[in-house]
Amino acid sequence: MATEQQEHLKIEQLRQHSADEIETIAGREKENLEGWIPSLATDTEIREALEKAFDYRGDITITLKDGAKVEGYLFDRRSGSSLKDSFARVLPTNDRTKVNVAYSDIAALAFSGRDAAAGKTFEAWVKKYWEKKAAGEKNIQIEPEKLD
Amino acid sequence: MAVPVSQAWTVASYVLKQKIKGRKRYPLVLMLEPLFRCNLACAGCGKIQYPAHILKSDLSPEECFRAVEECGAPMVSIPGGEPLLHPKMPEIVAGLVARNKYVYMCTNALLLKEKLHLFKPSKYLSFSVHVDGEREHHDFSVCREGGYDIAMEGIRAAVAAGFRVTTNTTLFDGADPNSVRRHFDQLMAAGVESMMVSPGYTYDKAPDQNHFLGKAKSRRLFRAILSNRKKTWQFNTHPLFSEFLMGKRNFECTPWGMPTFSIFGWQKPCYLLQDGYADTFQELMETTEWENYGAKSGNPRCANCMVHSGHEASAVDYNFSSLKGFLVTASKYMFPSTYPDPDAQKLLNEWKPEHATPLVQIQSSASDNELQTVSGD
Repeated sequence: MATEQQEHLKIEQLRQHSADEIETIAGREKENLEGWIPSLATDTEIREALEKAFDYRGDITITLKDGAKVEGYLFDRRSGSSLKDSFARVLPTNDRTKVNVAYSDIAALAFSGRDAAAGKTFEAWVKKYWEKKAAGEKNIQIEPEKLD
Repeated sequence: MAVPVSQAWTVASYVLKQKIKGRKRYPLVLMLEPLFRCNLACAGCGKIQYPAHILKSDLSPEECFRAVEECGAPMVSIPGGEPLLHPKMPEIVAGLVARNKYVYMCTNALLLKEKLHLFKPSKYLSFSVHVDGEREHHDFSVCREGGYDIAMEGIRAAVAAGFRVTTNTTLFDGADPNSVRRHFDQLMAAGVESMMVSPGYTYDKAPDQNHFLGKAKSRRLFRAILSNRKKTWQFNTHPLFSEFLMGKRNFECTPWGMPTFSIFGWQKPCYLLQDGYADTFQELMETTEWENYGAKSGNPRCANCMVHSGHEASAVDYNFSSLKGFLVTASKYMFPSTYPDPDAQKLLNEWKPEHATPLVQIQSSASDNELQTVSGD
């Protein structure tokens, strides 16, 4: 996901086009965020990193200022006027109870989990399909990943 | 439209009550997503791209019932993931039927035949089977050869067991209207009650951002498909939504018309966009900045959306918003049109697939300028 400013520029750019023109505009670009540990030196960096975490399809690990860690899927964020009233909302890896973490309590953030969306494009499927077809395979399919 | 009279009456009286109460925003269908995991891994689906612990999570029956009661909509659609993978799906469905909710259980039908005995036929329950076109179209779309045959077998088994069975077909760029029309014939011959068809859309989380239909292409495609329709075809989409798809009328999006609830909560603003979550339905309705969504808002993410979840509710609302709307809709139901259209027939006759073999043409990543012909939609 782009930063807020990049997103704003993209939206402004798209506004110059009619709906039908947008049909031919390329889709959104996807960043490779797996393993990323963003710098959280400024308020802006913290907010941008958590926006990216919201868009990320893998687990993240948040280290709090008291040393505790929250690991899980960041499914929502609520942006307030200050870091104290802005919250990351996480479903921990081993619990169904939603955890709210104030941005102001965050010391570090890591995109620690595997990106579940990585490499799963339509193009990747088409390429794989034709490779298998050419190899004479039957019953070609993408199998869902094993969950255990 | 092919729905039982009792269902049409329930929906009509519900909408009238909302109008009398002066509610500006009211839900029509709850999109209940009790799980995200699936037994397919379609390349066009962003719903299943989550870490394993999310995919293993389910909504409990109690959580489902609470959401349904909070929302109050007369109809509940159960997408996913694949609902038949939920260990308590029969209990969930039975609980919703007991609450007199009209349930559309969306399924790819891979497990339908073997799980049918866990459900009881009811006027409140319909299996809404996702079939994206004729055999090769569907199989390519769901990334599984043989998927079509299993789905059709499931459909036939459910029909034979006395269940209501409807279908849902999503079309992407490259769809062939002649093939879609043959597909409709096949579905009706299999005994389905009615069919739904809708264009796919480039929602943010969709892995495929390049093969969805824009508005101009959608209108052309749906005009070709839905004009000069056969009298045997039954659709469970609102007739005015069908006209919207064919470019005969325009509707703005009604994003609150089909709210979505999942393990994350109430999704803002709609089934496809994920801008955040609310913990209660009331919070969803009160805190979502609805004016930022829909084509009219200028939000580019909404510019090309014609999806039923946002626009069919607009067609229903139109019925009940004026005498003209009511009379127009009533006439569509009483005197259903086949939409004769010689130009659309010409379009259909002269439609050239973009390639020699079905169905989609994509830019090959291996060769920048070379177009590759592939099978699928």
